Amino acid sequence: MWSYAFRRLLWMIPTFLGILVINFAVLRMQGLSLTDTIASGMGKGDGERKAESASQAIETWLGRFHRTGNDLPALINLRGFTTSDGVRGRLLAAERGPQVDEAKRSRAELEDLWLQGPLLVEPLLAVLKDDGAARLHGPASMALSLCAYRPLLPEDAYLLAPAEQDRIRVRNERLKQLRIAYRNDREQGFITADPEAARKRDALIALLHADAFEFSRSSRRWSAIVSETGFVDFAHRLFTGRLYSETRKALAFDVIAERWSVTAWLNLLSILIAWAVSIPLGVWSARRAGSFADRAVTGLLFSLWSIPSFFVATVLLHHFCTQDASGAAWFPNRGLSSPDSLWLSTPAYLADLAWHAALPLFCLTYGSFTSLSRYLRANVQEQLASDYVRSARAKGVSEDVVVWSHATRNSMVTMITLGAGLLAELFGGFVFVEYVFSIPGLGMLTLEAAKQMDAPLMMAATVVSVGLLLVGILIADLLYAVADPRIRSRYV
Amino acid sequence: MSKAALALLTVVALLLVVQIIDRWREPAQLQAVMNASERAASAQERMLQELKAMRHELARRSATASNDAAVEPLSPADKRDDKRDGKPRLGANFLLPYDRTHVHPAWFGGTIREFNVTPKGFNPIVENSADANEALGLVNDSLCTSHPATPQLWSESLAESVVVSDDWKTYTFRLRPGVVWQRPNCAKQKEFAWLDRDVPLTSADFAFYVEMVQNPEVECPQLKSYYDDLERIETPDDRTIVLHWKKKVFTSMSFSFGMSPLPRHIYAFSRDGSPIAAKAIGTVFNKHWFDDLGGIAGVGGYTLDVNESDKLVRFRRNPTYWGATYHFDAMEWDAEVKLPDPQLVAFKNGQVHSLTLQPAQWKSQIVDGGESRFARPDPKDPKAGRTGELGWEKVKGNSYSYIGWNLRRAIFADKRTRQALACAMPKQRLIDEIWFGLGRPQIGPVHLDNPYFNSEIKDFAYDPTRAKALLSESGWRDSDNDGWLDREIDGKRVPLRITLKFLANRPTWEAGLLVYRDELKRLGVDLRTETYEWKEMLRIYEEKDFDAVVGGWQLGSLEPDFVQVWNSASADEPRSSNHVGFRNARVDELSLRLRESFEPETRMPIIKEIQAIIFEDQPYLFFMSTGSVFVWQNRGAPAKDRWLAGVAEGLDAYHPLFNRSPLLWHFVRE
Repeated sequence: MWSYAFRRLLWMIPTFLGILVINFAVLRMQGLSLTDTIASGMGKGDGERKAESASQAIETWLGRFHRTGNDLPALINLRGFTTSDGVRGRLLAAERGPQVDEAKRSRAELEDLWLQGPLLVEPLLAVLKDDGAARLHGPASMALSLCAYRPLLPEDAYLLAPAEQDRIRVRNERLKQLRIAYRNDREQGFITADPEAARKRDALIALLHADAFEFSRSSRRWSAIVSETGFVDFAHRLFTGRLYSETRKALAFDVIAERWSVTAWLNLLSILIAWAVSIPLGVWSARRAGSFADRAVTGLLFSLWSIPSFFVATVLLHHFCTQDASGAAWFPNRGLSSPDSLWLSTPAYLADLAWHAALPLFCLTYGSFTSLSRYLRANVQEQLASDYVRSARAKGVSEDVVVWSHATRNSMVTMITLGAGLLAELFGGFVFVEYVFSIPGLGMLTLEAAKQMDAPLMMAATVVSVGLLLVGILIADLLYAVADPRIRSRYV
Repeated sequence: MSKAALALLTVVALLLVVQIIDRWREPAQLQAVMNASERAASAQERMLQELKAMRHELARRSATASNDAAVEPLSPADKRDDKRDGKPRLGANFLLPYDRTHVHPAWFGGTIREFNVTPKGFNPIVENSADANEALGLVNDSLCTSHPATPQLWSESLAESVVVSDDWKTYTFRLRPGVVWQRPNCAKQKEFAWLDRDVPLTSADFAFYVEMVQNPEVECPQLKSYYDDLERIETPDDRTIVLHWKKKVFTSMSFSFGMSPLPRHIYAFSRDGSPIAAKAIGTVFNKHWFDDLGGIAGVGGYTLDVNESDKLVRFRRNPTYWGATYHFDAMEWDAEVKLPDPQLVAFKNGQVHSLTLQPAQWKSQIVDGGESRFARPDPKDPKAGRTGELGWEKVKGNSYSYIGWNLRRAIFADKRTRQALACAMPKQRLIDEIWFGLGRPQIGPVHLDNPYFNSEIKDFAYDPTRAKALLSESGWRDSDNDGWLDREIDGKRVPLRITLKFLANRPTWEAGLLVYRDELKRLGVDLRTETYEWKEMLRIYEEKDFDAVVGGWQLGSLEPDFVQVWNSASADEPRSSNHVGFRNARVDELSLRLRESFEPETRMPIIKEIQAIIFEDQPYLFFMSTGSVFVWQNRGAPAKDRWLAGVAEGLDAYHPLFNRSPLLWHFVRE
């Protein structure tokens, strides 16, 4: 049994990682890319002011995206394999031509090159050193100054020695000053428009040679394929607990720690209540299959199932949670405990909890009564028609024992499967109930993080939700082995 | 196992569970006891500070009464005279004296609660959200202020006087003495003991504000654009600020008068109290340790007491405040309840003191009598809502909504087409039936209640016949008899088909546009609607990827400025506010001239002409000036709480766009 449990536990790991990758990829697809963000922020002023504001925008956004790992490619980083010919080709592709739409395309090509980071410094330097590519020196110097730019983050003030900070700051400033001015002309392509082009070129080459080790790719390009990616950066922050929520100004897991237990407990209670009601109901229906009572209960359950939980929650809130003129209401309208519940005795505290949780739990569970009880009814009916049940009856076993100890027990495997599926539904559906009854749980937190585009918090909340779900599925898998000796003997 | 044994086991198990729960609750109870004792200590400290402030005030009054030389005499320029009328002019101090007439010490007390969101941060420069600004409005002050009854007049606040000179390019402020920064909450911690001291407000704090806004590394693009024309700030002494603007521009007034100080003694220093290097301060400021702690410090009437994300934000009265606060000892923002229906239930249960209703709630709760504690509306009496246990009143919002036509699309090239689309819109009917009367037809880019509103402009009345004629005049015909109008544009037959994009989850707009679509269908215009989430809508605005969009503008000051939204130069800028691409040389000329005009008599004809041109041109279908229903605990609230008074007085006495100011609000008990 232990080895079975251990095997199931091991299977959780790749599942968890796979879900993490998919989540991360979906989030990155939906988020603004660095290029989009900069493009939408550029364009103020004209001529020199426009170029200056563009450069300023890039530097600002590089810092911000560097903090969150969004300046790196999502899953695979092949930037270390870009050759100088490749860079040359990209620069040439960015050169304008006579067609009208070229302006937009060439700008996008150039901006994409600007954001490639330090792995492109070497090939760009090679282009800059090539005397035969003089007309590309201008855009190459611009791209170099941004690829070699090292954003200084606020935490660097504490992590880096003052001398190192100064060195980086001075280099960033020099990189800006050594950009060779150029124009991207519609008719003639790149035209160098800088009388000091030669001096700046030499100075830029010398500046970057001095830090050649920092930009060397030979040892780094292979490891960078995986290690210098947005996903690895994110995973590193995730597993070291350093995911930081900008909107909450706290570590994401600290924020979640206050809330996950609310969701977990309520979901657990929902499943237990769902089973506690559905199992007797299903068995009762199976024993009276086809009768008027069975049909009436089925009709009622399907009617309940067809009403959306969000609607039911709102109706219950208005009708049972609004105080009348005397200040009394059937149920509280928010939260899971009264403000002074901390000082109540434990029985009173539990009663207060039950009073607050009654309506939210009802909204979460009523829909599952139908599916669980009807599945169980069908399974029990099938079991009651089988040979072994006929044999048991023939041997004189009482009907209650036949139904409960034999038929129902053999039908429980289906219930466990449905229970695990129910867990997934509950995690999703709980958001509505949290919002309507103002319960500070994980569902509301995840949605708020999504609305505020707080990616670290969203990812952390998703990871916790997925983790809880996988634990629930693991428990379901273990319960299979407990409930069905055939499964136990197959795997143990 | 026998039944008795089972029963005994059950009892034992239950007792064990109770014990476990008891132990589990103990840490939280201990923490609550510690918090309570800390609060008691803070309350004691506050009382001592209040006593100190009262002693200081008594000394000041007795010194004034006996002409004590220790009190700084008023300069001749500060003496009250008729010229201090609050209307900006050159050469003399015009600020109205600070107004304390709304303050009645007998009304002090209580905690007022309303719904709001937890601000993401409180950095006054980097954070640009409405809730952060609201918090800063409670905690900080600005150089000058205005009264909600007379929002166009400026009065003293942190500045006792201002003299404008050099043809509106130089502003010289004299700061009020004795104003002290609040001590931030973190000052109680050992690590930040260096902040636990009284720091006077000086001109250096304003210089620091400007320095940070203009620092190229500080991320505040919107603020930067407003201070682009500020050449420099001088601080010859601790109480004098001189702002030099590069050119004469009207917006320099509001940005000078409305400037707030930035606590230099916090933001210019690291966690350990050592100064941050000048070269690094811009970068560090974007993610300052003080902001990470959720700190806020100001010189205003309230201090931040509690900030629990998504739960509660509480502001407490600042006992050392020099000025006149509201009557409440504390103000709470409930951030737990987020949806409109739960908020309404919480309001009815007395958990908040005021709320703004959605149109559907107004209809169901008040018009249809769904809640008996609201008085029924009386068409003859707009104040009928004040008689109920839960008070309500229709109020005006300083905003309007519109449908914007993308003027770059050839189908909108002719203004008669746009005028026809306006004539096809049954504005009043939609406002009455879909928005349940909560709004008025908007006529142009200036709010209807703005003194500069051009009342001579006549709206395009709902007139399908006229709409048809206008469409015909602009060349639209149903040439192929398919029921839709079309026209030849650049040699091709183009149908009059409009895709209108708007924000998702807005059921009132969805319902209203269904009606409009039918109206246009009868004229042969094919209107299709699409909804998008907010992020996608932003992209649509920025990339001008639309035929038509639904939009709205929140108007701030009563002094209109047309450059941001209507200037031709910004028609093709990616993130400009002129997303419909409006161009008009005359409007450009007038709006720049308006920025250089300071006197209302000069400004009025310019603004009126601009309104007339824009409205005639119809780059927008100006739809509705927004209204809403404000509700409050009027009388007989649940026993634990008191009900609000003073709301009605404010609604009557203050400017209709600012009449929900809580200056007069206070609690009473029956």
